[in-house]
Amino acid sequence: MSTLQVKEIQGIVLHGYGSLNHAGFLLLQVQNAALVKVWLGTLPLRTSEQRPEAADLCINIAFTAAGLKKLGLAEDQLGMFAGEFTEGMTGTEHRRRILGDHGESSPEQWRWGGPGNDGVDVLLLCYAGDEEALNRVVERTVGDYESRGLRLIERLGTVKLPDRKEHFGFRDGISQPAIMGFDEEGTPGNMVAAGEFVLGYPNAYGQYTDRPLVRPEQDPLHLLPVAPEAASHHDLGMNGSYLVFRQLSQDVHEFWNYLAQQAPGKFAGDTTQACIALASKMVGRWPSGAPLVNSPQADNPALADDNDFMFVRSGDADGLKCPIGSHVRRSNPRDALDPEPGSDRSIEVGKRHRIIRRGRAYGPPAAASMQPGEIIGKPADNQERGLHFFCFNTHIGRQFEFIQYTWVNSPKFDGLYEDDDPLIGDRGATEQTRGGVFTVQQEPVRKRVTGMPRFVTVRGGGYFFMPGISAVRYLASLK
Amino acid sequence: MPHQEALTVIARIRDGQVTPLKKMLGSIREHHESWDLVPFAKLARVHFARFMVFDATHDLDSDSLPPQLVLLTNVDAPLSDHLEELATVCADGLDRVFAHCEDYPALNARSPTTRVQFLEQHSCRSDAVHVNRRGRSVEQIRQEESLRSEIDKFLDANDFDAVVPATLKERITAFVRGRSDLAWALRPPEPPALSWRIKEWAHKYFSLLAVLLLSPLILLCLPLFLYLLRRHERRDVPDTSSASAESIRAFRDDEDFWPHNQVVAVGLFKPGLFRESVARVILRMADFATRHIYNRGILSGLNTIHFARWVTFDDGRRLFFTSNYDGSLESYMNDFIDKAAWGLNAIFSNGDGFPRTEFLFCGGITDEKAYKRFLPTRQVQTNVWYSAYPHLTTKNIANNEAIRRGLSERMDDEQTREWLRRFGSGNRLSESGWVARQLDSLPWERICRHCK
Ligand code: HEM
Repeated sequence: MSTLQVKEIQGIVLHGYGSLNHAGFLLLQVQNAALVKVWLGTLPLRTSEQRPEAADLCINIAFTAAGLKKLGLAEDQLGMFAGEFTEGMTGTEHRRRILGDHGESSPEQWRWGGPGNDGVDVLLLCYAGDEEALNRVVERTVGDYESRGLRLIERLGTVKLPDRKEHFGFRDGISQPAIMGFDEEGTPGNMVAAGEFVLGYPNAYGQYTDRPLVRPEQDPLHLLPVAPEAASHHDLGMNGSYLVFRQLSQDVHEFWNYLAQQAPGKFAGDTTQACIALASKMVGRWPSGAPLVNSPQADNPALADDNDFMFVRSGDADGLKCPIGSHVRRSNPRDALDPEPGSDRSIEVGKRHRIIRRGRAYGPPAAASMQPGEIIGKPADNQERGLHFFCFNTHIGRQFEFIQYTWVNSPKFDGLYEDDDPLIGDRGATEQTRGGVFTVQQEPVRKRVTGMPRFVTVRGGGYFFMPGISAVRYLASLK
Repeated sequence: MPHQEALTVIARIRDGQVTPLKKMLGSIREHHESWDLVPFAKLARVHFARFMVFDATHDLDSDSLPPQLVLLTNVDAPLSDHLEELATVCADGLDRVFAHCEDYPALNARSPTTRVQFLEQHSCRSDAVHVNRRGRSVEQIRQEESLRSEIDKFLDANDFDAVVPATLKERITAFVRGRSDLAWALRPPEPPALSWRIKEWAHKYFSLLAVLLLSPLILLCLPLFLYLLRRHERRDVPDTSSASAESIRAFRDDEDFWPHNQVVAVGLFKPGLFRESVARVILRMADFATRHIYNRGILSGLNTIHFARWVTFDDGRRLFFTSNYDGSLESYMNDFIDKAAWGLNAIFSNGDGFPRTEFLFCGGITDEKAYKRFLPTRQVQTNVWYSAYPHLTTKNIANNEAIRRGLSERMDDEQTREWLRRFGSGNRLSESGWVARQLDSLPWERICRHCK
């Protein structure tokens, strides 16, 4: 087992910065590459060596393919990055199709990252314990932008909701893969090879994922480590990771409104109880976070952070507790899929499609308490709110895009018919891919709701590369 | 119910006609909704159909191979009816497409008869064909989907919370009985014709008998075979080149319009008598396996393939493989690596440039990087592609049939509960046969670790 070089890996990859409640994400454009490189050389980037304390200020940085090009990275190195990254999130019609970026979510409508928007080169992530400190760190790091050779396209704010909730009212950020060689604790079913999240380490197939390598003469100062599997090359990818960023706007009002129309009568209890019951079926966890598999009948806050379950092995092969189409089951099916549901083989296959999620909510909460009981019935306020979804992986096609297309947006997931992800599905662009049905497996026969609108709209996004610390220094040294 | 036939027509494209032909055929992305020139949707027996063009190229001895047009269909038997339909209903389109090819009847000689003659003369046997479920016709697939959808509406419109399973099943059956348009569903589907079943049965047992008789010889030759195999495997040179970003992108642009996708790969056989013989035997075995072992919805651990075929052409120098499957190419490739590596290694490792295998079954495809790099270098574009039920996955189709069969089956309480769970989602496939289950549960990863 390879132990990770934590001092070389940017901190946000391996830590969630849970103690830092305030964050700002800066979308930047490179105006003067020479100045930017000077700035890069001095950036105090937080590494993964230590989990941050509440008083810490942390910054991390990532680049788009266009950004790397502007900094002077040679074409042959750019060509060694993953095709998804160099083509970009909006680069092809095909990618829009599989990501579900159509209609209101089509890149032409985006606020940033779309073909009509200013090109993003750099993503600067800033974290602090309070808003004032956050502003201080932004000021100190970039100041007036211009003197650093940068232009600010947008500063995206975030919000910390009570009980770590997302805007629909459910606890988020509970389940993450445990990383081999880094996380000591973790059930075997959740232990994933480091190379799935950090380049330069063996992945879930025991291979080193392709990444940019440079010839020694391209790295005269020997800033980069030697490639572990190709000693004749220096490794520009090592300790780096791809960051997938999607700004996902959540229509909280529409969500609970739809539930209020559908749930009463179909589910037990008063309107609020019935709505929460159906919504929890859609998520796969209760508002507190308790997983339906382990607490099928009612919420149980004592299980808020419980992540110790499978589906088939936990006695829920048929989805009678946690529906087959629920968000949690389809974004990480654990042991539920082929080749042999409930087996180690299925778990191993599932491990080839995991991501580390590091998103943060943005926009004002629909109700300060974030209790569904209080959110339901609030009139629409037309406020922009949602999730700055971001995740890390090393093979975008096999991890993020696979989850998004083959599982989340697929109306055919695990034997379903017209059910895309009830929470975040795109509902399909055509008749053949139509979704918007949600089936709740139960005895004696399933219940289902139909005609579900799209609750989540894409407002922006991009594929970024977050280099290792030495690779940032290398970029700063480019001629 | 009829069994299924696979038609392969390969015709040489006349000099200078490749470009205009390709222009006429266009691409999937341009006409994925429908392509009116040859209206496959009007042919009642067609499950899948496609046109593609194999460009002129050359073999390993630098002998040139001509450009060829390929028409493939998967249809319900009898094939003769299908040819007849093609030559009449699609006459106009067929003429316009095949007019680019050598030997196509001249303008004044075109008639349904001469068209059928042309198709027959240029048709070519498949080495092996995988049919998700033999005997399931297009009509059955469509009917059973409408049955499922009508019952789902019936279930939506009523509250059954307090009803016990047996009663609920009776209510559903009564609903179906009450609908004259669904009454067919109260009988199970008919099996394929007896004559066909006898033929298949005979093929199975004669093949087994032949293997049995030859087994002493096979055992005797095994050491030599293994020696030669390993020698070849060590010496064969895997192709480590990559396809250009543009060509990969062009393939992607034709994908993921529907839950179904398709892929074609074309390759030369490795040179030499040894590889030629191995390829022949393996394809024979693949034929046997698809007909008698993997004939219940699962092919070597994969259950997402509707139809697939392997065809040797160009006088045995080349092989093409085509598949119509559910989901994205990325998930299909992962399935190959994760679930079906051994079977596909055995076949494709006889192809030139394939990632290095060990003992025929190991290595090869399991090298994710090498395999995902290699496939696009052998992929060919399909210009026209038709599916009769693009919104139905193999799992949907199998589940619909199980719903239909259940209507006329007697069940105990547990069986009734299980049947009722099929509404809304169906991931319980019928079990493969015994041999298939044994093969699929072999611990290949462990076995292959010893083969290194
Ligand atoms: C606004 C959009 C989204 C919302 C409101 C949302 C909400 C949630 C919630 C409440 C959970 C359960 C808590 C947990 O296990 O951490 C969850 C889990 C998860 N979500 Fe999302 N999510 C969103 C978008 C996405 C997207 C776009 C993806 C990936 C394509 C995704 C992938 C996952 C994964 C992998 C899990 C963990 C499942 C597990 O391991 O059990 N989510 N999400």
